[in-house]
Amino acid sequence: MFLSIDGLSAGYGGTRVLEDVSFSLERGEIVSLIGPSGSGKSTVLRCLVGLVPPEAGRIALDGSAVDYTSRAAVRGVRDRLAIVFQQYNLFQNMTALDNVAIAPLKVKGWPKAEVMADAKRLLDTVGLGDKHGAYPDQLSGGQQQRVAIARALALKPDVLLLDEITSALDPELVTEVLDTIRGLAANGMTMLVVSHEMAFVREVSSRVLFMDRGRVIETGPPAELFDAPRTERARDFVTKILRH
Amino acid sequence: MNYTFQWGQVTGHIPYLAGGAMIALQLAFFGFAIGMVVGALCAATKAYGPKAARRLVDAYVSFFTNTPLLVQIFFLYYGLPDAGIFLDSYQAVLVGISLNAGAYLTEIQRAGFMSVRRTELDAAATLGFSRLQMIRYVVVPHLLKTLYAPLANHYIVMVLGTSIAAIFGVEELTGRALNVNAINFRSFEIFSIAAGMYITLTIAASASLYWFGLYAFRIKAKVF
Ligand SMILES: Nc1ncnc2c1ncn2[C@@H]1O[C@H](COP(=O)(O)OP(=O)(O)OP(=O)(O)O)[C@@H](O)[C@H]1O
Ligand SMILES: [Mg+2]
Repeated sequence: MFLSIDGLSAGYGGTRVLEDVSFSLERGEIVSLIGPSGSGKSTVLRCLVGLVPPEAGRIALDGSAVDYTSRAAVRGVRDRLAIVFQQYNLFQNMTALDNVAIAPLKVKGWPKAEVMADAKRLLDTVGLGDKHGAYPDQLSGGQQQRVAIARALALKPDVLLLDEITSALDPELVTEVLDTIRGLAANGMTMLVVSHEMAFVREVSSRVLFMDRGRVIETGPPAELFDAPRTERARDFVTKILRH
Repeated sequence: MNYTFQWGQVTGHIPYLAGGAMIALQLAFFGFAIGMVVGALCAATKAYGPKAARRLVDAYVSFFTNTPLLVQIFFLYYGLPDAGIFLDSYQAVLVGISLNAGAYLTEIQRAGFMSVRRTELDAAATLGFSRLQMIRYVVVPHLLKTLYAPLANHYIVMVLGTSIAAIFGVEELTGRALNVNAINFRSFEIFSIAAGMYITLTIAASASLYWFGLYAFRIKAKVF
């Protein structure tokens, strides 16, 4: 297993919001997390990148467990897992190009010429070849989200974590962002996707996990989970969300 | 209207008045610089300090923002000697202006502290930024950007406020204008020139702050 999560529990200030979550990802696989609001999907991703400390369980990369109490270990994980947030979270005081280049330059200390060329290429790939010098407040939501994707890719992560990256966008901007992700999928990027875009989830994922109240309730290939859910709660959720 | 302008009698005093303008600028500049430090410390105390210290800052801020600057300087100049502390008029004015500025700048900077976006810090953390890198690349630029316009405006207000020093006999621009007036009573001419110099000072300050802000943080401070 490339990334495995075993019996993960976590919470905020004493309130448990994740209870005994387990699943795993193979290299090149795309797994999606779906479930109602507040079910803990974001918290799973935030645990993986060390923004929320796990309270119990084991998270392992390439078979070796990550010690989230060690700064060095967390830094190691952040080298390999990159997250894209719902609200893009771009650095407002930097141009698109600087947003993408800053971590490789300042955190990694990679050579400038190489980093800049790479950042430009990444922006070109996400369709922003003409927006290198634009600041976030000069870009549309969809464009900002694509900058955020480029920024996440700049550190050459092994896994991309996407947290509802289209849900803050106007409908006509969703396609351009999803197309960017389709491109990455076609190139074999390993991804853990939280999304409410069910058609998209169905199209790209090899497996879907349904979460409710902090637990993984049901797991299966998308066709199974969407068309023939085994549990009552998954059935409820799927019928509700597909009705839209 | 039979007042004849006699500019000739005052033009000779222009260098003397300009020297006063420099003193005004100096008072504003040092007062602002000291006020920024005091304000930053107080704002940090209000954000992260223990309760007793926060109370103390509150008392300081409400005292200095709810009494006139003139009264504050009177207190320093005439009141403190009773406590055995003697300040000359320039020192009393500078301390008064600085403490007054400190109180206002505490409030301005505190607003900046509150507005740093948690989400950008999350992004920085997951990209591997160290604590110091977060401060340097995310927090400070954000503070400068949000605080720039209100700070620049306060600085302009302070430049004009230095004229209060004349009351204590400090020979800055207004003080010197009063001196010249006492010699030749060409009040209209003298005070027009002084006013012109104040306008020049504030416009020069606004314009340079404007261009600097635009260049450094892409923001527009108020020019007028
Ligand atoms: N910073 C926080 N402090 C306290 N509680 C939190 C915090 N963030 C999330 N929670 C709580 O944790 C639970 C799980 O939240 P989480 O954000 O992981 O859900 P989610 O499945 O991502 O929901 P959504 O679809 O609305 O994004 C919720 O009950 C939420 O109220
Ligand atoms: Mg969420």
